[in-house]
Formats: sequence, structure tokens, C-alpha cells
Amino acid sequence: MSRAFLSPSRCEPGTITSPLRRALEGADPSAVRDLSLRGVVEIRGDLDRVGSAPREGLVRLSPRRGVVFTDDDPVDVAAELRARGVLAYDATGALAGIAISDERVVRRLTDLDLQRLPSAGPFARVTAIVRRDEAGWFEVFVQQELGHYVAEAVVDALVGLGSDPWRLTPPAPDPGSDPTGHTPSRGDA
Amino acid sequence: MSFLLACPFCGPRPVDEFACFGEVTKRPAASPTLRELTDYVYFRDNVAGVQREWWQHRTGCGEWFLADRDTRTNEVLAVSMPEPAREGKSA
Amino acid sequence: MRLEPQSRERLDRSRPVSFTFAGWKITGFQGDTLGSAAFAAGKRVFSRSFKYHRPRGLLCCAGHCPNCLMTVDGVPNVRVCTEPIREGAVVEGQNVRWSLDLDFMSVTDKIGGPFTPVGFYYRTFIRPRFLWPLYEKFLRSAGGLGRLDEHAGHSGRYDTEHRRARVLVVGGGQAGRAAALAAATMGPGVVLVDEDARHGDLRLEGVEVLAPARALGIWEGGLVPVDAGRLLYRFRAERIIVATGATEQPLVFPGNDLVGVMLPDGARRLVRDYSIKPGNRAVVLASDGAALEIADDLRDAGVAVPRVIDLRDMRPRQLAAQGRKGRVRRLVVDDDSIDCDLLVASGGSQPAYSLLAQAGARIEFDSDLGVFVPTELPPGVEAVGRVTGEGLGHVAPEPAYRGAGKCFVCVCEDVTTKDVKRAIAEGFDSIELSKRYTTVTMGPCQGKLCHLPSIRLHAQENRMYESAIGTTTARPPWAPVELGLLAGRELTPTRLTSIHWRHVEAGATIQWAGPWKRPYAYGDRPEDEVRAVHESLGVIDVSTLGKLLVEGPEAVALLERLYPNRFGDMKPGRIRYGVLTSDGGRIMDDGTIARLADDLYYVTTTSTGADAVTAWFEWWNAVWGYEAEIVNVTGAIAAVNLAGPRSRDALQRLTEADVSAEAFKYLDAQEIEVAGIPTLALRIGFVGELGYELHYPSSAGEFLWDRLVAEGARPFGLEPQRVLRLEKGHVIVGQDTDSESNLYSSGMSWLPKLEKDDFVGKYALEHFARREEKERLVGFTMEDDFLPAEGAQVVIEGRPAGRVTSARKSEAVGAIIGLGWVPADRSEDGTRIEIRIDRLLRGARVTHGAFFDPAGERMRS
Repeated sequence: MSRAFLSPSRCEPGTITSPLRRALEGADPSAVRDLSLRGVVEIRGDLDRVGSAPREGLVRLSPRRGVVFTDDDPVDVAAELRARGVLAYDATGALAGIAISDERVVRRLTDLDLQRLPSAGPFARVTAIVRRDEAGWFEVFVQQELGHYVAEAVVDALVGLGSDPWRLTPPAPDPGSDPTGHTPSRGDA
Repeated sequence: MSFLLACPFCGPRPVDEFACFGEVTKRPAASPTLRELTDYVYFRDNVAGVQREWWQHRTGCGEWFLADRDTRTNEVLAVSMPEPAREGKSA
Repeated sequence: MRLEPQSRERLDRSRPVSFTFAGWKITGFQGDTLGSAAFAAGKRVFSRSFKYHRPRGLLCCAGHCPNCLMTVDGVPNVRVCTEPIREGAVVEGQNVRWSLDLDFMSVTDKIGGPFTPVGFYYRTFIRPRFLWPLYEKFLRSAGGLGRLDEHAGHSGRYDTEHRRARVLVVGGGQAGRAAALAAATMGPGVVLVDEDARHGDLRLEGVEVLAPARALGIWEGGLVPVDAGRLLYRFRAERIIVATGATEQPLVFPGNDLVGVMLPDGARRLVRDYSIKPGNRAVVLASDGAALEIADDLRDAGVAVPRVIDLRDMRPRQLAAQGRKGRVRRLVVDDDSIDCDLLVASGGSQPAYSLLAQAGARIEFDSDLGVFVPTELPPGVEAVGRVTGEGLGHVAPEPAYRGAGKCFVCVCEDVTTKDVKRAIAEGFDSIELSKRYTTVTMGPCQGKLCHLPSIRLHAQENRMYESAIGTTTARPPWAPVELGLLAGRELTPTRLTSIHWRHVEAGATIQWAGPWKRPYAYGDRPEDEVRAVHESLGVIDVSTLGKLLVEGPEAVALLERLYPNRFGDMKPGRIRYGVLTSDGGRIMDDGTIARLADDLYYVTTTSTGADAVTAWFEWWNAVWGYEAEIVNVTGAIAAVNLAGPRSRDALQRLTEADVSAEAFKYLDAQEIEVAGIPTLALRIGFVGELGYELHYPSSAGEFLWDRLVAEGARPFGLEPQRVLRLEKGHVIVGQDTDSESNLYSSGMSWLPKLEKDDFVGKYALEHFARREEKERLVGFTMEDDFLPAEGAQVVIEGRPAGRVTSARKSEAVGAIIGLGWVPADRSEDGTRIEIRIDRLLRGARVTHGAFFDPAGERMRS
């Protein structure tokens, strides 16, 4: 039993697509990016057994649940983890991922404490894993089937903040924004 | 309701991230009478005070845990992980 | 009316701004409010009162009272005294027939007095009962506030932003600012909110200032929603410092609502902020020291102040304002009469404790101060400044002064002292009851200006102390809030399968199916899709099925204890139908369980049940602690059902694996590669024809779907699937069963294995197995061509005795068929029953087994 039917990486080249393809097509890559094809491995079991070799991208949800985000082949990563005595599943196809540069967009969709990432919690009223990358971008992973909806919510939040995610107009500095970015205004577009 | 509940793994979170499965009940031993069964399935103590309840951090880590909550004030005095009781049929 | 420019004014006189006010063109300056500009232009009447249509003018100029509620650019109930001026705004009166200055409905004030006591409408218009709708229509249009344009409305974007604060200070007065600055010395994360737009440019070192932004309430867990217009900040604060100050209270005396009667702060704002001379001749009535200072402001503005009456020194027997056409002309004090066109009157200041009370503070009457103050603050909540009572002097005006004319306790709802006294006489002596009966404190000010006066009046009438009367419960929101802001953005979590857009492109009719959007059918003729499956080849997207992996040495033990079925005797590569029951023996969900390896099972659930079943499995395993893991892989996997007599040939063309009848039997599960995609193929027959459920990585959802369609598979939707499964008599859990259904009554007595030691629902099923079921779920065939609605009555001997749960026309069977609940004694095969369709009874025959291909030869072929 190979569990290969979970793994996009075992499909013939050219057969796989992102669930966010339509929602983010043509969107401004300086505002949002699609991370859905990033390798993901879900771990169950005693996470301490994994801990001896702390690999980058491990998010501990509880002592028995974790998720690894990886750029390697998730099938290999899962096999390696199983060899360490935990159960591991290729969850690459299970999650849709979206990277967001603007913290205000994130704050408009989640009440998670953004000082304490990564963590799992609500995002646009669904369950998400939220991380922050080295460049300060927020990475939000949700169930694949909710990905399109979440991406639309993110794009709409960008529009609400006066940004132009489709870059239909040339970029112009926002005169009203202050460095904290918190100024409320009645005419909040 | 907007009180914070401390998930054993994620820390204090708004209560709407959690699912409450009600008070901890005692599953009867094999072949209960109809009365015992009905008590277990349908009746709850519903105390005005501290009771032990099942909670799941549904919009979060997903783990089930126990919480001792004061039903009058929503104060959660303690959270804990359940002791598995595989052989005994109590739940 | 405008004074010479003064240093402290908030006007930019170089920038005139024009708008229309009740049809008049008015020009003010940048920095004005709509209300101040109109007042400066000589406008005095801003609204008509709720019940009596009395003219009302500016009273508080602080956004508390109802007197300046107007409709601005179609938005009703805007307080123009605080609404910033804007070019081209259209400001109109509301609750008015004709005009603000001449309102035909004001006749209710002239004749209505004796006829409109509290509860008048409900007591008077109760008979004849059938005329109430007519009365109500008239009464509703006669009273009330602004009207929402239900056709145009106003639209706009509202949003919510989640924020955290170490310290949240509510109120930007002296005390609030000092508290914020002190907190900022301890570190970052200090936020100050204030409802006054004038604090927008406040700069405090290390403090983030939000203004205009109004804290609406304090909830558990330090949750404070803050209204910033179109944006709602949802703050979670570790410490909350309330510095909401105190609110000046109106004085209760006859004529106290006349245009020209103002609160000291209101008059002061007109003079200081907007450089307006608010009248020519003013009398000041003060109940505390603060109110006395206003006389100097008025004199500075050139207003003659012939009399200042300090009510602490003087206790008049009679005190009344008199006027003409609703405007104040003179004040009568005992035998004295003083002409004036402005009457500045204060009943003292009451701490604005509402937020604290909501948070759980106790509110007690301070007899030294003569007002209510907050005590016993809950943890994490502090109060500073005047809201604590600090800095307030003793005030003790009469609860109500005597004199001729209407004497208002509550200007929002037009409640007079007479109304309150009458309510008390009728027995509504508790403040909570009286509030509901008279509606005092229930108007737009929400008690800010009438709570204390009404308590004072109650104390006097009941001959009790204010402390014994107590306060009414403070509830959020603290100030009116737009419903759009509370609703925020629409966020409806929507699940789409990875093949969804192919269905849309193919022109499918999309419908909600639980949390999912799914195709109903791909055209107007679902029956054609049914025929394609029977005669040739169809394909349906079933990615919505819940899919779980259960893995571990004790996976089988866990599953056998969760399901009434047995799974230990299954060989790897085999599939079994399973039904989940609760411990009450009720059917919860169903699906297939495939054993993929000794310690690995693949479980499917209904489309709506995935999350609940996962939680159910995990909960029981938290109880039991079996060495087995439950992983929800619903989203990871796309699934399609390839069905029809040609399905084997089509599948064989796409795979190198042997899928012949001998190599791939009915209820077999095999991992094969289909068109280059690793696939778990399950041979099951929900729709009654030879078929394969193909489960494969969702990322390849569209690719394999396209290949199957290219092989000639006709996409079919939910509706044809419902027909197909009904032809087989297959039950849909939740459609044909409900929370009362069990396996015996639903015709699945073969399923539970009661000899097992234990499983969830075993005890109840043991009892069910011994008793007679009253109702049974059976199939039926209509005698004639009538289609019952789902939920239609089954009628036995003229009495309703059951119900239809599913019914469809089946071409393959050549009749209308269905499933329904009938009394057990009418459940034998062939029994005639009657079903009510459009009020007429139509005959049907109970039909056991599948309607189509009862032997199941087609799906096993």
C-alpha cells in the first residue's frame, strides 16, 4: 500500500493545478502569492520523535499533531518521518496556501495573535494554519476546497484597503496612510 | 459569549474557536436497563457551578480536552487531557 | 450670529462649505458640523419630537440627545450636531408632515396630551381586534424617527479589523490622556479611542489615538468593539481603562424641551468651538459649580445674562419655561418672570458608567454627590477621571419642578413626569418595569440624558432613596451603531471541489449542498443524464464525500467499536457499507469502509458529514485511546463516480491495470494508475450500474475529469444521482432518515452485529431489536402518474400516518417511485397506502427491495 493516491508529486507532469488558479490569476505578486503547490506533510504521533532532527517548516499543533512545509518531495519526507516512528501523510493536495504581504489584510480576516506565529486558528471564518516567512509575508494555509473562497476574501480585503490587486491602475502612494497604518476614517473605502 | 478558553496547546483563545461537547458522562456497563440507558443518553446533571466538560479546539489544533468550567461565570478553572479508558467502558 | 474669529475656534474661515438644510442653502466653514453651520445661519428647529411633534432644537451638541436627528443624504437618524460639514450634503427633517417649522402632526401636542398617556395605543386600539393592523399603520407613521429608503438604501463597504492592545483607554479627556501616557511609559501597545472627531489630531507620545472611534461595549475576555465609521475594530485588550467622563443631565421642569433650552456644554461648544453667539438674552439654571461658569462664556460672546440661578442656594416652588411657537420666551421662577431667548439649564453631571456596568462593575448611588458611581470593577478594567465621580460636586436639584406645561423626563420618547407618575400609580413602581412601560431611557439617547432624572422621580414618587431604586441594566451598544458595521463583510465559507469550475464551464446549474456548491444537473433534462448512466456511461463529481484514513495497529478495534459492523474479517482490498449510530441507537451517517492494508482503512462519509464524523471519531478515541490515528483527507482527494455499462471499458482504456470482472470484483478496492494519476479505485454501486469510484489527488482533479469526459462519460449532477439511487431503494441519511430513525425501522436490521462486545449504539440497538417498531421506512410505487412532494402525508383510513421522504419519476421503472415512513402494520410488500397530493388522496403500493434491477445484476456484472 503506497498511499500514492494522496500525492500530487506522483502524478504525471502537467496534470496538476492549484485550487487558487482562478481566484489569483493575474493578481499583483507584490500583494498576494499562491503557495498551494508547496509540499505539505501531516504528522500524527509522538512529535518528540521528530524533534531530534528539527527540520525547517515544522509547525507543532499539539504534541501529537504537526505539519511540515517542505520544498523537497513530500513523499520522501513522509517516508523519512515514518522511519522515525510517526505516521506521516502527504497533505500537499489537502491545503491551499496564500501568501499575503499586508498585515492589515491579515488582521481583517483573523483575530489570531500575529506576534505568536505559527499557529492554527480562524481565518475568514475557516480553520487555517498561519505562518510568517523570513521576508515578513504571512502564509495562510486552509483546506483546499475552501481555498478559492479564502483567496476571494483576501483579494476583497485588499480592495477594501484601497489597494489594486489586479494592477489595473498604475501604483500611487496612498496619501492618507500613516506609518502605523491604523488611522480610521469614516470614508474608509 | 466572548470569554477566552485556554487550549492546552494553543493557549487562551476566544471561545468561538471551540466546540463544546457537554458535560462528561458515565457510559453504563454492558447491557444496561432501558432506564439506565435513557439516563445516560438523554439526562445531564446541568449543575450551576463547576462541571467537567468535553471541548475540542475545532478552529485550531483540533485536539479534544477536558475543561472544568463554572457554568455561572464561564470561568474555566482548569483544562486537562483525558485519561484513555479503553477497557473500562466508561466515557 | 457668527462672532469675530477667536483663537480657540475650530473653523477654517478661508474654506466655506455649502449644503442644503431642509431646502435652504447654507454656507458654513470647514471645521463646522452640519448642525453648527445651520445654527449659525439662524436655524433653530432641527427636529420634531417622537410623539407630540413638538419642535426641538440643539440641546447637548455632543451627539447624545435626539434633538438633532436628521436625514443626511438619505441616511436617517444622523446627529447633525456632531456630523462634520461636507460640501453638497442634503439635510432633511424627519418625522415631519410639511416642514420642520410647521408640522401638521403637531396637533397631537395640542389635543393629544390628555388622550395619549403611556400605553395609550395598546389600551385604546385593542378593540375591535381586526382593526389593529389599520391602527398600527397609522400610529407607526405618526410617531417615530427617520425612515430608511427601502428601495435605494445606502450601500457601502463595511469591514472588521482585529486588533490587540496591552492597554486600551476609552475616552480622550484629561484623565484618559494622562492614563494613556502613563501606560505608554511601561511599553508599547497603548491605544486611546475617543468618539470626538476633534481628537483625530491628538498626538500622544507612544500612544495610538483612534478618533472618531467609539467603544461600543466591554465583553468578556477584554473584547471591545470600536466603531470607527465604516470600520469596526475588534479589540482584545489586556487592560481596559475607562475614562468616559460624565454627562450633563437635563433639568426637569415644565417647558424644558422648548427650542432655546440648552445644556451648558452645548452652549459652550457653540461659543468656543464654532464662534457662535447662541442667543441674545440668556438665563442660567445651575445645579452644580461647573454649570455656573457658562455665564462667563455667554457674556464673553456678547449675550446678555440677566439672571444666574444656582439651584443649590435657591429652591423655587415653581419653575417653568414658557414660549411661543415652541421657542423659549421667558422663565417663570416663583412669582418672577424673566424674558430670555436662551435658557441654559443643567441638572448636574452623571458619570458615564455604562461601559463599566456592562463589564460587571457595581453601580451605587453616592449620596454625597447625588449621582450614581461605579464600584467593584472587574479584573482588567479600570476607571479614571470623572466617570468615577471624581471632580464632581454635590448636586441636588428637585426631581421635577412644578409649573404649567409639559414637563419632560425623556425627550427621546416624549415621556413626561405625568406619564411616569401615572405608571407608578398603576403599579409599575420598579424602575425596570416602569422603563418598559413608559419607554423612558429606551430612545436614541439610551438613557444618557434621562436615566438619572427618571430614577430621581421614582425615588420621589415611591418615597424611597435613589439607592433603593437602583439602576436599569446597562447593555451594549453604548451608542447607536449601523447594522452594516455589525454585519461587516459578507464571509460565507464556500467549499468547492477541485473540479468545480469544469461544471460551471459545462453550464451546470449550481446549488448549495450543505457547505458545498454542487451541480444540480448539466441542462434542463436530468432524465437524459439518468439514461446515459443506464445505457452507456456517466460521471459525477463526488469529491464532496468525507474521506478519512484510519491507521494504526488498533485501527480495526477502533472502527469495530465505532460502527455496528464488523471490519476485522475483511481482507485488504475489500469494501463494506457502514452506518454510524449514536449511543442512543440513532442513525448518524453512512459510507463505505475500504480496508487498504491490515492496519489502514479508508472511510468515506456523507458529503455534509465529513467534519462531524471526524470530530466524532476523534472524540471517541480521546475517550478510549486506541493506538490508531484519524486523518481527514477530504480535501486532499478528488473523487468521481464513473458509472454505466461502458464504465469498465472506459476505465480499461485509461489504465494498464487489469480491471476485468474477474480481476476487479464488486466491492473491491485497488490502487491503480489511471491516465498517469495514482488512483484508489473503489468498485461500488450507489447508482445501481457497474461503476468505479476513482479517488485521486485533488490537484489532478480537472485533468482526470477531462480525460473521462473525453472517453465519452456524460457528466451527471445531483438530481440524476438522486433518481438513480432511488431506483435502487438506496437510503440517503438525513434525507430519508432523521434523528429518530434507527437501523431496524430503516430496514437495515441485517447490519448491526449485536454479538460484538461493544460498539457505539449497541445497548440501544439491543433494546430496539426486542421491541416492535411503530414505523418503517419502505419504498412505494404510485398507482398513477402523480408526484408527491417530499414531506407529503401518508394517509391511512383518513388519518395522517406517515410521510414521504423522497419521490421521483423514473423512466427506467416506468412509474413514480419513492421512499417514506408508514405504520409498521402497513409495511408489508404490496400493501396499498394513500398519499395526499394537492389535497387529494392518491393510491400507492408498498414496494420492498430495489425498484430497478432488484437482483443487482447490473452493478455486480
